[in-house]
Amino acid sequence: MTDTPQDLPEGASKRLAELEHGLFTSDLSVNEFLLIKEVGFHPLGFVMGSSIYHTGIQTRKWGQSQELTKLTEAMYNARELAMTRMEEEAAELGADGVVGVRLDVNYYEWGKDAAEFIAVGTAVKAENGVSYRNKLGKPFTSDLSGQDFWTLMQTGHIPQGLVMGTCVYHIAHRGIGQTLGSAGQNVELPNFTQALYEARELAMTRMQDEANQLDASGIVGVRLEEKSHQWGSHTIEFLSLGTAVVKTSGEVTLPAPTTIISLDN
Amino acid sequence: MTGPAPLAADRPDGSAGDATSGDIRKEMLAAAQSLDRSAPSPAAAMTSDLSIDEELTLHSIGWEPIELVYGVSLHSIPMGVWNWGQGEITHASSAFARSFAAATDRIHHECARSGGHGVVGVHVERNVDRHHIGIALTGTAVRPVGAKKLPSADSVFVSDLSGRDFTLLQGSGWMPLGLAAGASFVYAPRRSMGTAMKQTSQNVELTNFTEAMYAARESAMERMQRSALALQGTGVVEVKVTEGPMEFAHHAIGFSAYGTVIRLVAGQHRNLAPRMVLPLDDPVRGVEATALRGA
Repeated sequence: MTDTPQDLPEGASKRLAELEHGLFTSDLSVNEFLLIKEVGFHPLGFVMGSSIYHTGIQTRKWGQSQELTKLTEAMYNARELAMTRMEEEAAELGADGVVGVRLDVNYYEWGKDAAEFIAVGTAVKAENGVSYRNKLGKPFTSDLSGQDFWTLMQTGHIPQGLVMGTCVYHIAHRGIGQTLGSAGQNVELPNFTQALYEARELAMTRMQDEANQLDASGIVGVRLEEKSHQWGSHTIEFLSLGTAVVKTSGEVTLPAPTTIISLDN
Repeated sequence: MTGPAPLAADRPDGSAGDATSGDIRKEMLAAAQSLDRSAPSPAAAMTSDLSIDEELTLHSIGWEPIELVYGVSLHSIPMGVWNWGQGEITHASSAFARSFAAATDRIHHECARSGGHGVVGVHVERNVDRHHIGIALTGTAVRPVGAKKLPSADSVFVSDLSGRDFTLLQGSGWMPLGLAAGASFVYAPRRSMGTAMKQTSQNVELTNFTEAMYAARESAMERMQRSALALQGTGVVEVKVTEGPMEFAHHAIGFSAYGTVIRLVAGQHRNLAPRMVLPLDDPVRGVEATALRGA
């Protein structure tokens, strides 16, 4: 990793310097913008991080279920690069956190196995001057929408960081003998079941480890995504993503929500 | 804007051409002239692509829709600029900037002519092609109910926010000012054959592509911010970005962004204090005809 750009490009610093003169940019909708203002935060700027990454090759054994560590590493590494660059931009703006983070992988025509990993979000800062940075002194990140952020704050929680775990797993093919043996029968396919279980567990555990590092009391909005990307049907990436949160205040009494029936169904 | 050239002038032999092409010319001329008409009479019917709900929301804060207005502009790009070169593809970037500026200018004039104080719900169509870049803006001109005075073209605002967004913003003390846009197109350098071979089995960041992508993004965002500052905005919301290589030239990367510039006009931001509601509606269930028949 010697050729990784250590700092942000020049253009980025120029753009961010302009943002410090009172202009903010954001991909938040008007609803989200108003809700974030409602809980006492002000958007600072649209922050981004991206990395175009070439994933290596790892040989798979046809009949063996195994984690493809080289590919797992690549997926981790590339996402970390994008996330870190986004956090750097937010830190340069003096933000307390980044909301509405989206992680994406785009495949382009740049050659085989090359993909763009991108992280975008809106940097926000508390208007009352209190620092909301996380335990590591960095701006928190969160994939919650403006609406979810508002609701979370009502319950006395604040986000600590977007946590993720990933695992690229190769699921064994079944031998001809096995296939013939189970033809015409109702049977569970234990090798498939087990492989999927194991891969999912690995991804979830890694996500929880990240949350533990942040001393989080919970992870909300967890999503588990399964994608084959460009590796064919038996190699799958399990990606789990969520926002680690901590409770900051004591008991909170929420007003009971008003029940409504809308007439525009 | 100059009108279409006189019929015979563009033919070296001075012939009038056949009847069909002559008709088209006449139609174009008539269309161009009709665009130049004066403001519609107060009794004229209003047209709008807003939904009934949106019209109602607008009326609730004392605004009304008047007319559907357009702004279109198309700029050509010289042959061959997409494929080889270094750094920014300035022809393409400036074609985008000029198209956007001209389209905005036209929608401003149309809005002012129809008596609108601003345009909401603008639909922005970006068309980037090998030979041209085109921008088309369509939206509904609005004004405070019954406003008589015709505004000047400079003072109207243009926004891609919906009627309800406009209402919400106004309620908390903000006003939309205009659209800010920026785009940049750059060449992504090719990897040498040797490098590509060497990297086949490695996990490695492709720094030259990453840098090209960054260069495009930074200049596009910076341009958008500059135009927002020129409108004296304090924020840009609902920024929409498109990025990636061009379909027709894989080694050209484009990044474009636009959003609505807003400014706090009231003394301070007014909180909306939303209440929590719990809708008791079930999701609408479609009825499948086959299911009823027991098939």
